Amino acid sequence: MHRIDCPWCGPRDEAEFAYRGDATVRRPAHDAGIDAFYDYVYTRANPRGWHTEWWHHAGGCRQFVKVVRHTMTHEIAGTGKAGDSLPVPAE
Amino acid sequence: MCAAEPRSPLSVVAVPAHPMIAELPSAIVDIAARRGRAGDLAAAIRAEFGLDLPPPGRFAASGDTTAVWIRPETWLVMAPRGAEGALARRLVETAAGAASVVDQSHGKTRVRLAGAAAPRVLAKGCRLDLHPAQFGPGQAAVTPMAQVGAVLLQRDATPAYELVVGSSYAVPFLEWLTDSAAEFAGTH
Amino acid sequence: MIELPRRPRLRTRKGGHVDRDRSLTFRFDGRAYQGHPGDTLASALLAAGVRIVGRSFKYHRPRGIYTAGPEEPNALAGIGTGARATPNSKVTTVELHDGLVARSQNRWPSLALDLMCVNSALSRFLPAGFYYKTFMWPAAFWEKVYEPAIRRAAGLGRASALPDPDHYEACHAHCDVLVVGSGVAGLAAARAAGEAGARVILAEQDFLAGGGLLCEPGQEAWRQEALAALAALPNVTTTLRTTVFGYYEQNMLGALERVADHLPVPPAHQPRQRYWTIRAGEVVLATGADERLIAFPGNDRPGVMLAGAARTYARRFGVLAGSRAVLFANNDEAYGTLAALAEAGAERVTVVDPRPLGPAAAAARRQGFEVLAGHEVTGGHGGRGIYSVEARAIGSAGAFQIDADLLCVSGGYGPAIQLASQSRTAMRWDDRIAAFVPGDAPGQRSAGGARGCFGIAAAARDGLAAGQAAASAAGFAAKAAFALPEGDDPDATVAPFWEVRARGKSFVDLQHDVTTADIRLAHREGYRHIEHAKRYTTHAMATDQGKTGGLVGAAVLAEARGETVAVVGMPTYRPYVSPVTWGAVAGHHRGRAFAPIRRTMLHDWHARRGAEFMEAGLWLRPAFYARPGEAPWDAILREGRAVRQAVGICDVSTLGKIDVQGSDAATFLDRLYTNTFSTLPVGKARYGLMLREDGMVMDDGTTSRLAPDHFFVTTTTANAGRVMEHMEFHAQTVWPELDVQFASVTDQWASMSVAGPEARRTLAKVIAGLDISDAGLPFMGVADATLAGCPVRVFRISFSGELAFEVATPAGYALAVWEAILAAGAEFGIEPYGVEALGLLRIEKGHVAGAELNGQTTMRDVGLGKMAKKGDFVGKVLAGRPGLTDPARPRLVGVRAVDRERQIRPGAHLVEPGSDRSLGWITSVTRSVEPGGWIGLAMLSGDADRHGQRLVAAFPLMNEAVEVEISSPHFVDPENARVRS
Ligand SMILES: [Zn+2]
Repeated sequence: MHRIDCPWCGPRDEAEFAYRGDATVRRPAHDAGIDAFYDYVYTRANPRGWHTEWWHHAGGCRQFVKVVRHTMTHEIAGTGKAGDSLPVPAE
Repeated sequence: MCAAEPRSPLSVVAVPAHPMIAELPSAIVDIAARRGRAGDLAAAIRAEFGLDLPPPGRFAASGDTTAVWIRPETWLVMAPRGAEGALARRLVETAAGAASVVDQSHGKTRVRLAGAAAPRVLAKGCRLDLHPAQFGPGQAAVTPMAQVGAVLLQRDATPAYELVVGSSYAVPFLEWLTDSAAEFAGTH
Repeated sequence: MIELPRRPRLRTRKGGHVDRDRSLTFRFDGRAYQGHPGDTLASALLAAGVRIVGRSFKYHRPRGIYTAGPEEPNALAGIGTGARATPNSKVTTVELHDGLVARSQNRWPSLALDLMCVNSALSRFLPAGFYYKTFMWPAAFWEKVYEPAIRRAAGLGRASALPDPDHYEACHAHCDVLVVGSGVAGLAAARAAGEAGARVILAEQDFLAGGGLLCEPGQEAWRQEALAALAALPNVTTTLRTTVFGYYEQNMLGALERVADHLPVPPAHQPRQRYWTIRAGEVVLATGADERLIAFPGNDRPGVMLAGAARTYARRFGVLAGSRAVLFANNDEAYGTLAALAEAGAERVTVVDPRPLGPAAAAARRQGFEVLAGHEVTGGHGGRGIYSVEARAIGSAGAFQIDADLLCVSGGYGPAIQLASQSRTAMRWDDRIAAFVPGDAPGQRSAGGARGCFGIAAAARDGLAAGQAAASAAGFAAKAAFALPEGDDPDATVAPFWEVRARGKSFVDLQHDVTTADIRLAHREGYRHIEHAKRYTTHAMATDQGKTGGLVGAAVLAEARGETVAVVGMPTYRPYVSPVTWGAVAGHHRGRAFAPIRRTMLHDWHARRGAEFMEAGLWLRPAFYARPGEAPWDAILREGRAVRQAVGICDVSTLGKIDVQGSDAATFLDRLYTNTFSTLPVGKARYGLMLREDGMVMDDGTTSRLAPDHFFVTTTTANAGRVMEHMEFHAQTVWPELDVQFASVTDQWASMSVAGPEARRTLAKVIAGLDISDAGLPFMGVADATLAGCPVRVFRISFSGELAFEVATPAGYALAVWEAILAAGAEFGIEPYGVEALGLLRIEKGHVAGAELNGQTTMRDVGLGKMAKKGDFVGKVLAGRPGLTDPARPRLVGVRAVDRERQIRPGAHLVEPGSDRSLGWITSVTRSVEPGGWIGLAMLSGDADRHGQRLVAAFPLMNEAVEVEISSPHFVDPENARVRS
């Protein structure tokens, strides 16, 4: 069970959050075409290592929190607000 | 204006009473600052209610009015129940366009839980550390308890807490709370 | 007078931690026995001379008590009767209470005579992996023959089928330092951390604190003083009978407290068990060490027991496990059992030690024990207990017999690393003790035996240091130390001795009946990796998690691979270290509290009216209101007819409602919905569709504009949460520049639909402050009013296809408004209608709902393609993918049974007569008011216009084929005249 440091609420249990996937993809401009939207919706790197992802604090402040998590060790390197750009550690 | 007093959501199914627990009939209004207007909103609320809108994890009270932080730039303002919609109308006037104001007086149910055993009651469903060194008077949190989303605030060091839940969850929430408090009924 | 044979006295006259002045009566397999407070069921059974307590899992071999703690592989029993019967309880951890009832398991018809014992004779046909190999073919045999036979023969105890009468609760705990285990290291650690001022939880699985100290009379004073010191510290919580079973990320641990298992019935308001979730700043694992077995033929017989267990029974419980004992051990620590057995009254103990004569053996000889150095045990004889032990000099073929009734085994001690392993702490192989030793990790340290620090004095020093370090890491400076037990530190060096190679079954996992031969077979068949060999043989996968033989199995695999155990390693342990009851996992949330039940503010009215309730998400909604003696379908059709012909009223409070405000609210909604809301006039509502970004329909509902910057959005009951999150995601992460705020107001507003040709005349009688004529409130108009003195908002929208108004009121007034409308409608024949009639009406009208908007359909599929606007909105681009715009995709049609009384079913496939090619499927069905008979909605291949055609609705599961006619989905008023009337 993770403890996730919500930038608004402080450290909370994983049970309060809903995992919402890759936080590095950006919604393309509306005229970017099918391929760009296809990548936005479906194409994922699935890295073994550090991953920046969305955790929705559904049970708390209802904010989408950015979390840098290691997909093998589950270690969390940092958390931030939606607009923050978080440093990703080297492997 | 209204012919009928509003019913409590706790009246649709009988929930056993408990000496540590009481419903607080309230006017409850959600105010969210419009983009870039949080400062204006704070100033207006301070002028009208004499309270400073609190930062995350806190609540502020002035007289019988309480404002709890629930989301970024969003607060629940609570007061004892008065005329239907009165608190929301007052907040709309006060905010003067600096906030989106939503009346939740019927949508939220506020209860009080007080007594020395209260932290042990809450520990049966609340994941937060309520030890006095970690959570004390003036502090608030939005956190699920027993599968129900709740706003928790600590009023004093008794300790006395207030809990605000969605009205359609009030019955199952109170069933859990009274069940959890049952062992302390004689000792509070 | 007949002279009874003298039975050896099995309970000592004094010593240990049992209260001999009081007796407790218990029953085992129907027979009454006596024990004492302080006994476990195991110690009481041993004191009563009971040797066989169960049969093994696969071979049904008789088994006895093997250990004195939670590592027990053999002695599982069913405890309690009736609804409180709990299977698979380790008798070594069951605290004796008066009236306890226990039953042995895995035997039929009785423990002594077990007919399944034939499995043992057939055992060469039951090798490792036999389930996978033997029962593969023919496939049809699996369900009917193999599985029932296996289930009868194998398996452990039986759970009660009755509802559990007890209650269970969850408890969330927080501390600076969690100490797991109250042996000497744990006590020292907890005291050191507690005296430094840290908030400490000391969790002990046993009902007495002290661990190994309970077998050390010389340290009793220190144990008592340590407990008194802990009790005096208000910041220290010591919790007994509490097993820490799981170690999760970031120092969250799970523990099970057996609050009342040692009582016949839990006291009032007390749970039977409590499920703790502990969030600890620092963790000290003082879980001690587990003694390991040696694999030799017959090492599972009743009468074989770990040496440390025999010592515990003698010292802690005052019970002599056998009077003519053999000690088979490769380590000095095990020699401590000699004195314990002798003091407890053993006639004779013979030592068989594979090592050359060493100092411990020499000392034992000086004390008068026979020691056979350089020897090994090759077997034990006796079906229901050991009669004699077979031994030989290592390297010689000539075995000899030693008369014995107890065989104590010790292959050395290894740290109890289960919790450390779960937390993925790195393990290091320690050649000195031939065991894996956990390292430290952030916020975690092991202490004492749990990290290979053996001996009471050494473990105490280690515990003290760990407690101080943990407190310091948590921000508390260490205080002056306290006195620790003194003593010589034993030489814990051990040469590994895993196995005696001789004919017969040598077990490495007694609970799952895994032998050394099974491990070698797994290796031969290619399961070389420890994780693979484990799963193939089920080694160490039983409820004891291989605490006694896990490493031995790994060593056998290592030998087969020609590598060291250090290289082969151990499988990663997983929760739970010990079994946890389902009741404790569920806690409060079972039965009607399994999930919160949401009720509308009209719930009690519905109940009084005789509503049959149904679940809709977490909500309870009235399905229909049957009159006395009325069949469900008659009620549903009556309710539907009232709406079509007069007026009905339905509680639709469960619909999701979201208040959206802000100067960019209209822009925001334009981007989320396929429709344009920025052009919607104030005071008007519009039906909207929301897509997922992949182009599929996500939800639908009406959105009303209350002010230029204020909208009121409704969602379906099922999708309210999903839509809210969808809005939050886009507002926060995609378009954070927009000025928009929104809040769920689902619970704030109760709403009721008043529908039918008499709806207007009904409402007009009670509504004030609003003209609800077609001119005053035209179709899709929205306005505020009062009704029965309560504030209401009236929406002229319709789901049924009839003239209809949705009346919303702050929820506390729902009952007053509802009853006023009912009274007003009485003269027109108003009927309340439930979810079933609501479904009937919308299917007749051809409105889509969850069955059609199932996440796999596009707007075009459900006939709403023209709702797509020109500009951008979520889902627009991908909805334009060729596969989603293919005209041959299944699209919404109506179906009607040609024989009107033939039932059709959702899920039925539509085929042409004589064909088995599916052209589509039925999504929703109902009996109908208009046009009458069974009708439904379906998704039908768009490759041809089939309106008017007859197809077959095939439902092979029930062997049904019903002829249906395809039509427009709009069975009622396709011109939409009624809603505009
Ligand atoms: Zn948060």
